[in-house]
Amino acid sequence: MHNGDHFERNYCEVCANSLHPFYEEYKQDPLSLHQLLSNWFNHSEQQPVQQRMDTAEVVCEECGWTFQRFLNEGKFGCGSCYNSFRVQLPSVFKRLHNGNTTHVGKAPGAFGEILELKKRIEATRVQMKEAVQAENFEEAAKLRDEARKLESKLATGGDETHGD
Amino acid sequence: MVIEKFLDNSLSSWMAGRGEHSDIVMSTRIRLARNLTGYRFPLAFTEDEAHRIDQSISATLLDASEELQMNISSVQIKDLSELNRQVLVEKHLISPKLANSRIEGSVLLSEDESVSVMINEEDHIRMQCLFPGLQIEEAYALADKIDRILEKELSYAFDEQFGYLTSCPTNTGTGLRASVMMHLPALTMSKQMNRIVTIISRLGMVVRGIYGEGSEALGNVYQVSNQTTLGKTEEDILADLQSITEQIIQKEKEARSALLKHSANTLEDRLYRSLGTLSYARIMTTEEAGKCLSDVRLGIDMGLIQDVDVTILNECMVFMQPGFLQKFAGATLNTSERDMFRAKLIRERLQKMGEKRITKGEELA
Repeated sequence: MHNGDHFERNYCEVCANSLHPFYEEYKQDPLSLHQLLSNWFNHSEQQPVQQRMDTAEVVCEECGWTFQRFLNEGKFGCGSCYNSFRVQLPSVFKRLHNGNTTHVGKAPGAFGEILELKKRIEATRVQMKEAVQAENFEEAAKLRDEARKLESKLATGGDETHGD
Repeated sequence: MVIEKFLDNSLSSWMAGRGEHSDIVMSTRIRLARNLTGYRFPLAFTEDEAHRIDQSISATLLDASEELQMNISSVQIKDLSELNRQVLVEKHLISPKLANSRIEGSVLLSEDESVSVMINEEDHIRMQCLFPGLQIEEAYALADKIDRILEKELSYAFDEQFGYLTSCPTNTGTGLRASVMMHLPALTMSKQMNRIVTIISRLGMVVRGIYGEGSEALGNVYQVSNQTTLGKTEEDILADLQSITEQIIQKEKEARSALLKHSANTLEDRLYRSLGTLSYARIMTTEEAGKCLSDVRLGIDMGLIQDVDVTILNECMVFMQPGFLQKFAGATLNTSERDMFRAKLIRERLQKMGEKRITKGEELA
């Protein structure tokens, strides 16, 4: 009704949707990351309030950001924050990355070599245990030496040194 | 100035190529986020840090031009006018965040605009590779190559447990965001998109409209990308996106066949009406243009409309945005002036193709 005149408007489904009264409100970032992070951390954790407050005060020495600041911004201040908040972060990542907390992909050159070595040591140890269980002790001894060799390589920083 | 080339053409030259499934997948994009050790992230760093990071990364990349066999240009964001920044945003060569940033940052662009490296956006380095059609592996291979060249010269922030360290925890791990831009008019018309969006989000992927604001996907162009970056290898992330994309392609094809089978006449009428509107309308909003361009592109892909360039959707979606319109007009335009200028540009674009068509016809005669 407008000035006593009666208007009737028939909109199709599409137009009706575009005239949705809440549309404008939704435009303002319905769920921001920092809100989500703060809510999760402050309400769903099963730990006493005091402990929660202590956690919030953990500070990164490199950039001076606290864990609470990280939650508020939804962003890290620097790369060292990851180290400073190492204990708290898995519960954050679990929620953001489908339950995952550890990187399994590519690594930059030097890191890559070290990770590769660690994987090979682990695999060799598994093979060794299997050999022991199968009572194939000769093979197991060989694998044990192989694992030791790889470990000493790891200790020297993954350098391809010969003659050890 | 070299930058003019990037600003004057709405069609990036990489778009002229035709990748696989290019009747449905418009483009593939790979983005890697990286940071350097020894500097705080852009939210917390000083101007001096910003300057040193910018210098160091720019120099490394420019040095790598030869190895990459690419002609790379470097552009300082602060040297660009506000309008020129907006134009680069509309071409997806820089993000709105970098465009509006007050800290020192730059973008490095390859000549065909398939590679763009943003410095000091949310992370120290954001590199993206854009390929036409569905080419996830190819695009990643190029990004990986650039990444490996950079990692030799620069020291990346990396942690054994958390992987590549990024400013935002949603990128931690691989720092990889792989996405495909898909034109899905038949799934939209048959109202299947909501269901697909829900299913895909359960699989750790995200679907959203790529142009315009709000919930409607302008021009029926959607972007599908991975959400998880931690705890999955690059190969798995790419393989999952590939598989989901192929399934959506299949669904869109089925929906197109169904439309053709059950309502061929109505469909043809609708698509030609849209071609008519684009050819003759004097006032055109973004929404209407998006809808009509999508219809015409669908008509071309289904073989119902001939003699219109297949790039019409890609190209017009870019140049009908406010920044480009004002760049072409050489003046600031208000909303209604933009709607008129948009209609004029699209009309002219279609006429040019019509003239080509006539000359071709004469040659044949």
